[in-house]
Amino acid sequence: MKKLLQIELIKTLNNSTFRVILILHFFLFLLLIYVSTKIEFSVPGFSTQNMFMFPNVWTLISWFASWFNLLFLGIIIIVLTGNEFSYKTLRMQIMNGLSRENFLFGKGFIILLIAIWGMLLILLAGSVTGIIFTSEISFQKVLDKSYLLLVYFIQAIGYMCFALMVVSIFRNNALSIMMYLLYFIMIEPIFRLFLPKVIRPFFPVKILSGLTPVPEFISITSNSTLITSSGKSQLDFDSIGILPESIPLLTSLILTIVYISLFILVVFTIIKRTDL
Amino acid sequence: MNEVLKISGLTKYYGKIVAIDDLSLTIEKGNVYGILGPNGSGKTTTLSIITNIIHPTKGNYTWFGEKPTPASLQRIGSLVETPTFYPYLSLYQNLQIITRIKSLPDAGINRVLGETNLLVRKHSRYNTLSLGMKQRMGLAAALLGDPEALVLDEPTNGLDPEGFAEVRELILREAHNGKTIILASHILDEVEKVCSHVAILKTGKVVAAGRVSDLLTKDDVIRITTDKPNELYEALVRGGWIKTINREGNELVLTLVKEKSSGDLNEFAFKNGFVLEKIEIVKQSLESQFLELVKETNPNSIKS
Repeated sequence: MKKLLQIELIKTLNNSTFRVILILHFFLFLLLIYVSTKIEFSVPGFSTQNMFMFPNVWTLISWFASWFNLLFLGIIIIVLTGNEFSYKTLRMQIMNGLSRENFLFGKGFIILLIAIWGMLLILLAGSVTGIIFTSEISFQKVLDKSYLLLVYFIQAIGYMCFALMVVSIFRNNALSIMMYLLYFIMIEPIFRLFLPKVIRPFFPVKILSGLTPVPEFISITSNSTLITSSGKSQLDFDSIGILPESIPLLTSLILTIVYISLFILVVFTIIKRTDL
Repeated sequence: MNEVLKISGLTKYYGKIVAIDDLSLTIEKGNVYGILGPNGSGKTTTLSIITNIIHPTKGNYTWFGEKPTPASLQRIGSLVETPTFYPYLSLYQNLQIITRIKSLPDAGINRVLGETNLLVRKHSRYNTLSLGMKQRMGLAAALLGDPEALVLDEPTNGLDPEGFAEVRELILREAHNGKTIILASHILDEVEKVCSHVAILKTGKVVAAGRVSDLLTKDDVIRITTDKPNELYEALVRGGWIKTINREGNELVLTLVKEKSSGDLNEFAFKNGFVLEKIEIVKQSLESQFLELVKETNPNSIKS
């Protein structure tokens, strides 16, 4: 196990795409939070400051962090794994006596490490922002909603396992990235529209992105703006599937873990069977 | 257990195309076993199966008398098709990945890089190497950890004549040290100079297999011009001299059975009153024999 981790670290840490994506992730994430603290909403009855205070800061920042799951973390996994196919280094390793399972365990380690990295970024950004904006800090306030770090961790693993599955199917970086993004932003959302409302919330994209929902403050304001601008107060957003249908967090978490297991199962089945 | 590799009834289809068809081979300890065949005869497919890269459609194989596992591959050094490494890692880092997989000490890395003259490039990125160097790097990786058996697929690919000779020497040295070597090649000369045994492959089937000395013997072709070709033809055939014979106009083209030499033939003709106007010995190249072997089994092939 230690050797698998070493192998994976040699491959990954020296990969320039990986380094660039990680550095970009770090700076853009912090920049996003910095910029957001400068934006002022002028909605009567709400203070924007409230979002940056403990414990609400965890909701806001884990929501921000989740934006990066799709574009950064998932794509890192596609590139790292896709390279193993295009460089034919997976076959080199199998030839030298690495089992296909152990290869995947190695990728699993990287997924875990990246998810921990993402979680640490939230911890860092959240603590700093929270400390700056909260006037009276108490343990109670800090710890309240801090479970969102763990929720984010599982969410990040979900995105990356999905990415791993896509790249195992297509075994080509460009095609995998395209299919992965298309699935998230078009295929599933459109497909969902044709299905009965009761099962819509249970699709992987829906479940995964629903884990870190839009902070209430933003969703309330945007909701009211939309309604007033459209001029109708009876517009049913739920039926169009734009607004998040609410599933209890615990159910979402359990479903995420079910989906993750499913993705992993598919990956193992494919990699075990394919000729390299 | 002297059996290093035993392949039985191995078959691989790529869609409808048969890459290898019911292939069986046994390779014993210490053999330098050549797998010889033209392009597309199934050499690489066979080696890819025994190194676990592709799955056979039918059939099975054993390594060291046991059902193959990834662990059995850790006892083998292999270079199949082209060498493949991480282009952005240095040679040393690339080999470190292999020492981790095979649980070897990193100390062996310098040794194999030295043996393949790559030590000066130890910290270069793999993608800065020339084609010949990449090939040598592939060999270096195969030699890591002094494995019991080597599986080499056209190891002299892309090498210059000097590299050619170096690799040949290296293989002979490893063979001398008692290693079992499986060498796929389409170059007869290579097989003849290096191998103890050979299996000749043609469209996925073993056409012939055995010791190199038995299989690729050089029968010299003799061309004779005489005044009475018909009579000599008959006399020779009746006298049991002939392995193969053909008439080309006035000329007889023949090969003799093992016990007879061209000198004996000359004497026989003289004694029986034949005047030999010309007697010419044509050294038959291994290539033409190889082509004959391959042709024999395929009556439908276009005769050149």
